[in-house]
Formats: sequence, C-alpha cells, structure tokens
Amino acid sequence: MAEVSPESPVLSTLDGQYARLFEHGNMKEFQLLSDADYAKSPIVEEQMSQDSYEIISALRKSYESFNRLNAPRSAAYCSHRIATEYFTAGDLGNAKQLFDGVAGLYRQEGWITLLWETLGYLRECARRLVSVEYFIQYSLEMAALPVFPSGGVEASDSKRAFGPAGPPTLSQRETIQQEVFSLLKGHASEPSSGLIIQDNQPRSLNIDLVNPLRMAFLTSVAFHNQTMKPGSSALLTVFILSQLPHPVEIDQLEVKFNQPSCNFKVVSGDEFFAKEIKAENHDIRLKSVPSIILTTNKWWRVTIEISSGQSGKLECVSVNVMLGHQFTFCCRPESPASMEDLTLWKFEDLMENFPSKDPIISFSGQKYIQVEEPEPEVELTLNASSPALVGENFIVPVSVVSKGHPLHSAELKINLVDARGGGMLMSPRDTEPFSFDKHHVELLSVSGVFDDDSQSNSNDIRKIQQSFGVVSVPFLGVGRSWSCRLEIKWNRPKSVMLYVSLGYMPHPESNSSRINVHRSLQIEGKIPFTISHRFMMPFRREPLLLPKLKAAQTSDQEMALPDADQKMSLPLIGRTILIVSARNCSEIPLYLTSLAIEPDGHQDVASSCTVQQSSSASLDPALIVPGEEFKQVFAVTLQANSPNMDIGTVHLKWVRDFNLGLHSNTVIMKQNLQSVSVETPPLVVSLDCPPHAVLGLPFFLFIRVQNNTSLLQEIKYTLGDSQSFVFTGPHSDSVFILPKSEHIISYKLLALVSGLQNLPLVTVISVRYSAAMNPSPAATTVFVYPSEPHFDVGRKRELVRAL
Amino acid sequence: MIVCVAVVGRQNNPLYLQSFTEADDALKLHHIVHCSLDVIEERVNNPKKSGPTLNETFLGLLYPTENYKVYGYLTNSKVKFILVTTDLDVRDVDVRSFFRRFHSAYVDAVSNPFHVPGKKITSKAFASRVTTLVKSFGSTAPA
Repeated sequence: MAEVSPESPVLSTLDGQYARLFEHGNMKEFQLLSDADYAKSPIVEEQMSQDSYEIISALRKSYESFNRLNAPRSAAYCSHRIATEYFTAGDLGNAKQLFDGVAGLYRQEGWITLLWETLGYLRECARRLVSVEYFIQYSLEMAALPVFPSGGVEASDSKRAFGPAGPPTLSQRETIQQEVFSLLKGHASEPSSGLIIQDNQPRSLNIDLVNPLRMAFLTSVAFHNQTMKPGSSALLTVFILSQLPHPVEIDQLEVKFNQPSCNFKVVSGDEFFAKEIKAENHDIRLKSVPSIILTTNKWWRVTIEISSGQSGKLECVSVNVMLGHQFTFCCRPESPASMEDLTLWKFEDLMENFPSKDPIISFSGQKYIQVEEPEPEVELTLNASSPALVGENFIVPVSVVSKGHPLHSAELKINLVDARGGGMLMSPRDTEPFSFDKHHVELLSVSGVFDDDSQSNSNDIRKIQQSFGVVSVPFLGVGRSWSCRLEIKWNRPKSVMLYVSLGYMPHPESNSSRINVHRSLQIEGKIPFTISHRFMMPFRREPLLLPKLKAAQTSDQEMALPDADQKMSLPLIGRTILIVSARNCSEIPLYLTSLAIEPDGHQDVASSCTVQQSSSASLDPALIVPGEEFKQVFAVTLQANSPNMDIGTVHLKWVRDFNLGLHSNTVIMKQNLQSVSVETPPLVVSLDCPPHAVLGLPFFLFIRVQNNTSLLQEIKYTLGDSQSFVFTGPHSDSVFILPKSEHIISYKLLALVSGLQNLPLVTVISVRYSAAMNPSPAATTVFVYPSEPHFDVGRKRELVRAL
Repeated sequence: MIVCVAVVGRQNNPLYLQSFTEADDALKLHHIVHCSLDVIEERVNNPKKSGPTLNETFLGLLYPTENYKVYGYLTNSKVKFILVTTDLDVRDVDVRSFFRRFHSAYVDAVSNPFHVPGKKITSKAFASRVTTLVKSFGSTAPA
C-alpha cells in the first residue's frame, strides 16, 4: 500500500525540484521528494481526502491511458479499483457492472485468487441489491472454484485484503455453499437481508455451455446406440458432475427431449414420495432412485430406457436439476464425445475423470439418436420392360399394393434426373421460353386407376412439371391396390433416373409418423430410327457434272453423299432416283407405318421439284426388327436449275405396338433432306442396250451422247474387245457433236457365250472437259439366254413403267 | 528481498505463484504479477521498441511500482517467470542468475512424468527448491 504522508509537496527554490515541508514544533524542514513520491502524491492526496468520486475520476484517467496503450490487464486493475470505490460509496449498480467485466477477464485467464476477490464483491452487491438470482449465481461459482487448503495462516484483517468474501480457502467455499443451499431450500440467508425464495415464486437459472456454473452442475447425456427402430427402446445414461465442496442432494431431475413424449423425471426418496409426484405428473414417466447425491468431482449416473414412435432425430435438450420446489437449474446437456473441460478446473493437477467406464460412451457418446423410419408394409413397383424411344409418349406403370398398412394421406412424388449427373434435363442453349423441345425428357401426365375403377377425389393434389410431379393417392385399405401410369416423353436420347417416392401415414392421427417408400429406375432413351438417303441416276445414263469433276471419281454409277460442307449436285435430266433408308437402332421391333417425303412449306412453286413415291410401296405397317433397314424408293423430278434446291422433309411414322392402335401411339419422325444443287449437265451419255440377249442372235448397243451446250463438243470413244462377244464397228474413234444435239454411236454385238456376261468396255471421253465416262459394271453386264425366253410380263411391266 | 515468484503459462494462466510476505499483501502481489503480463506482451510483440533482442530470455525490469520492482523472464516455450522484489538496488546479474536457477528448477519439475503439461505445478519439491532460491537471493544481494 502507498505510504500516506500528511504533508503535501510544496514548491522549491529550484525549478523542477519539489520538496515536502515538515513542521516539528517551531522547526520547519524541507525534505526533497523523489520522482516516485512526487508522482504518487496526487493519489495519496485524493485518498486522504476520502472523496471516492475524485479517486474514481483519477482512476478513470489511468484506465483510459492503459486502454490506449493496449494494456488490458492494467486497465482491468484500474477498473477493479474504480469498482471498489463505487462499492465503498454505496453505488452498487456501477460497482457490479465493473466487477462483472473484470471477473470475465480473470475467468478467461484462470486467475482464481483475483476472481475470488471479485466474486466476493459481486456476491455482496447482489446481497445488498436483494437480487436472489445473482446472489445464488455468484455464490455457487465461488463455492465451485478450484480453491484448496493452503498452508498460510489466515490474517485477522484478511477480509480487508481479500474483500467481503475473505481469503480463498476451502472452508470459505463450504461456508458459502451452505449459505446458498440454505437459501435454495427456502430459508433466508440472513434475517435482515431480504434474500428468500418464496414458495409461490419458483425460480430457475439457465446453465448453458459457457456459463461459469458448469463447475457446479455439469450434465452430460449419452445414448448407448446411434440408431433405433420406432417403437423399440434404447438405453440412455444421464451423467452429472459437481465441483461443490459439500455433497449436494437433488430432489428431482427432469430430462427433456425434442419429442416431449419421451420426457421423464428421476426422483429420489421413498415410494410414497414417488407416488405423490406421479400423481402430479400423470403424463410423464417417472423413475425412482434411492437418492440423487452429487459428491465432489465424482460422476453421478442413471440409466433409463427410452422409446419413441416418431421417426427422426431424438435429442435431449435439457436436464433440469430441482432443489426443493423453489429453484430449478436448467442445464443444457453435453455429449461426452464433445464435452469441453471446465474452464478453471482444467489447469488443476487432478486426475482426469470420465463420465463412463465404457470408453465407447465416454469418447463417442452422443446426446441424440436417430429413430429410423418404420418398415413400410406397402409394395411400390415400377415397370419399364424396354428402353424408351425418342418422340414417343413412354408409359411407366406404377403400382401400389397394401401388404399390411392402410394408406392414409398418401402422396406419390415423381422425379426425373439425368442419370449421368448434372441434374438438368434440358439444354442450356435452349433459351426460347416457349420452345416445346426445351426439356430433353419431360413428364407429361400421371393417370391413376383404382383396382376397381372407382373415381379419385377431385380435391387431391396433382402437380405435374417437366421433371417433377406429385399426385395424391386415394385411401387404400389393407390388401387393396392402386396403379397409375406415368407418361414420359423423350425429346432427345438421354438416360434418366426415375425416382418415385410414396409417402403415407398408416394411421389417420396427425401425430403418427409418415412412412416413405422409395423406388428408382434407370430408363434409357434411344433413337428409334436413323434415316439416310442417297440419289441414283437412271440405269445406264450418266451426266457429266462439272462440280463432280473436282470430287473423287466413283466406280459405281451410284452417287455417294458429299461431305457435310459440300452440297450434292444433281443433273437436270428428268427423273433422279432417291432411296431413303430407315434403320431400326433400338433393341425392340417397331412397326413402320409410313415413310414419305413432304415438301417444305417455304418452297417456291416455280423452282420446286416433285417427289413421287413408288407405287409399289406397301400400305401395311412393316415390322422392322432391331438392326433391319427399310428402304423406300422415290422418283425426284427436277424442274429447273437451282443452286439450292430443297427436296423436302422425310416423314417417318412408326408405332411400338401395332395392336394398341395407330392414332394414339404413332410417332412421327422428321428429318430434313439436305438441299441440292441442280444444274444442266453439258453432256449426257446413255447406254442403250436390251435387257437380255440370246445366244447367237445379234443385238444393237447404242451409245447416245447428248450435247446440252451451245459449243461444239468433241468426244472420243472406244470399245474394248471381249471374249464373250464379237461386234461390228470401230474400236476407237472421235466425233464432233453439234450444239444442242445428240449423236448416236451404234455397235452390233453377237453373244458367243450364255449366262451373265460383261459387255465390251465402253469409254467416252470429252475432250473439252477432259472427262471420261466409265460405266458401272452393272451397266455393262447383260444376261445371255441360250435360247429365246418366254416371260409373263403383265405385272412387272407396270413396275418398269412406274420407274 | 523477493516477495513473490510466479510461473505463468502460454495462455497467461498462473501455473505457480508463491508469495513470501504477509497475507494482506498476497492479493496485491497477484495483481502486480497479472498486470506485468501486459508489459511482457508488449516486449514480445515489439522487440525493437523494447530493446532486448528476440533471442534474449531475460526481459529485465518490467516496471516499477511504489514499493516493488518486477522482473520478467521468457522461456523458449513461451512460459513466463515473474519476480517481484522490494529491493530497489538489485543488480541485473543477480536477477539473471536467479532466473537461470529458477528455470532449471522449473525444467526439473515439468520433467516429472506425472506432471501434465499446461497444468499447475503442485510439486512440493519444486516449492522447497524455490524457497531455497529466494532465501539465497536475499542473502547474497545487497540490502
């Protein structure tokens, strides 16, 4: 403590040098002051003046200075001294507020002795302010502090040194505990204090995870299992630890859960007392134990069976410690697996104390348990016997059969998800709001059917979106069934997961748990047909197309499809053959009902072409097995030159099952034919040869060369020797063809051998264009009969004429 | 003479505090030791400003009060030793020597396999050794 000197400093004869003037009788003496003495003189003077508020003002300046210097502990010490001055002056409100702040720092850093002194002041403030809750709170905290017997002698003025609570000793802790528990039992701590808990005013105190009173009552709860079935029971152990020096006798423990039906009370005492309590709490479980006595630093345990009929998480939310009827400590329980050490006791050199001898519970016990859903007694079935095909309304039958549970308030939820992840069943590039092809796969409708075809309730829920749907399922008794059909459309080939969830309540009461049954099915969406097409020139007729000279030569008379960026060229020579092929790419046989080419709507009539389907096409649906190719022949009549001629769009109609009817299940596939370039060929070479020959009978072979240009065209032609034929005429020659005219080169041939024979090789070369015509092998073969054949040409002639 | 020695842990919690004075001063010594932690934190966080180099364990005179001088010492494991003395003319070399011997005693105490790091030191042997050190400091240092 600072020395108190009655003499104040006085000015000295020299600047900066202060002295104190002492008077001894008539003698006066100056005593020079040291810097330290001079610095402490204002405080000493203030203390001498006994004016608390002057002291407080000076200390506040020091407090602010220390705060500015970032010295929190020194500032806390100043705050402590200010609070002491307020306490001395009787300003208990300010004193309590400052002491609370200082106590927080001492708790955080574990300075027990300093905390003890501060709590003593706080306790005294609560007593004088007649605040029962604060008095109990501070008293219990003091009683639970890790203060142990010390070897020192207690000085007579220790209260002055250590504050109202005296020195921190074990005996003081015990005294405080006795006083506060006397108050908790309903007795006044002192007759004149006014601190008493009225019978008609029960009070409570919450102890959460950061409350200092965790030292007084530390509660933990652990389920012995992690999951349980609804209706079955699981074991639960409640642990309580107290650091109070005296044993604590608890009257009742109330354990509360998030499911109130599981709440229970543990009562101590004899049976009569238990029955009395039971009469008051007829709707709560009771467990009677001989006693609930907490001894210092020793876990108290009780194990009880818990059962729940409600699925979900069952969690213990509160353990209420009741002392008599007036006061309750509402403790938030902790799981042993995540329990924090007591803040002030963790620094003490004590043996570690685990809640349970079972290491599994001590290290991984949790205060919650998962109550599983009850086993459903309903069968939910999804059927999809084959993959889905793009364009069709694919039907997925769903059936619900009650095996033991009646279905109340049942709902069927349908979800479509991309099987390859991503979740979206639409292309991000489809930004048009009204595009019907926005979703690759979409749920169109759900139609429900009762097993006895009764009507469904019109108030049922029914919501169908592209990839989600929810419909109500009508009430089903045990043994009854209900089915519906999901209509799903694939707009693009995609594999989707169909998730169907049935939620129902087995009992009509609102508090019964809902049971869910989940089923999933992966459905592949495939393209049913791939459509291709190719053009063919009339037999033994070859036009010279200048664009084709740039492409690779083909050996066959058939014209191969150009590359994707190269447009096909067609000659304006009348009819061209178009063959459209449709291959079944799926795994199921399909019925192809029609294959037609429709003109595009934007085609100009004047520059259009006509497409005529072969009259031999069958009107009956054709069964196309997987991998089989269906071909349809069309005659394309080009009527004008055009750099960009649209032929039309292929319309392919097919149906999965012919027996279900055509109109409701027919799917139309459309594929636009690539536009072609139509031009008049400068030269057209035709081979005119009879369809067959007879052995020994001569026949004529004509080579017609048509010049469509306005230029004189020179051609050179050759006819090669053949072992099967003799012919008359030049092996090679050249000729000039006048503009817009035709020249015919004729040869007379005689077959020497019967059978399918190769005609002599004909070569026609255009000198101007440096192009040669090499007819295909099919065009240069002829069948030689050994004698004149006789045919029935009635029906076949019609086919030839149609082509 | 030395009136108080203290060992403060990494979290600024007291691991050991022994006073060698009357009971009425004991609480004040707690306050003094607690407040000296501010000075130590400043010395540790601002080594250039405070003077001693980073590798220096002896922190020197932390701050003087009206009647005491407070010295500090920081170990490599961030444990602080604090000495409070009433001697106004204490030589630095004596204080350094004391801390070295105190540090040795501390190392012996925490090397006890039954000692849990971070918890308070309750060893009577350590307390006895500290008392001996304090008495010997008081006898060799000038009055």
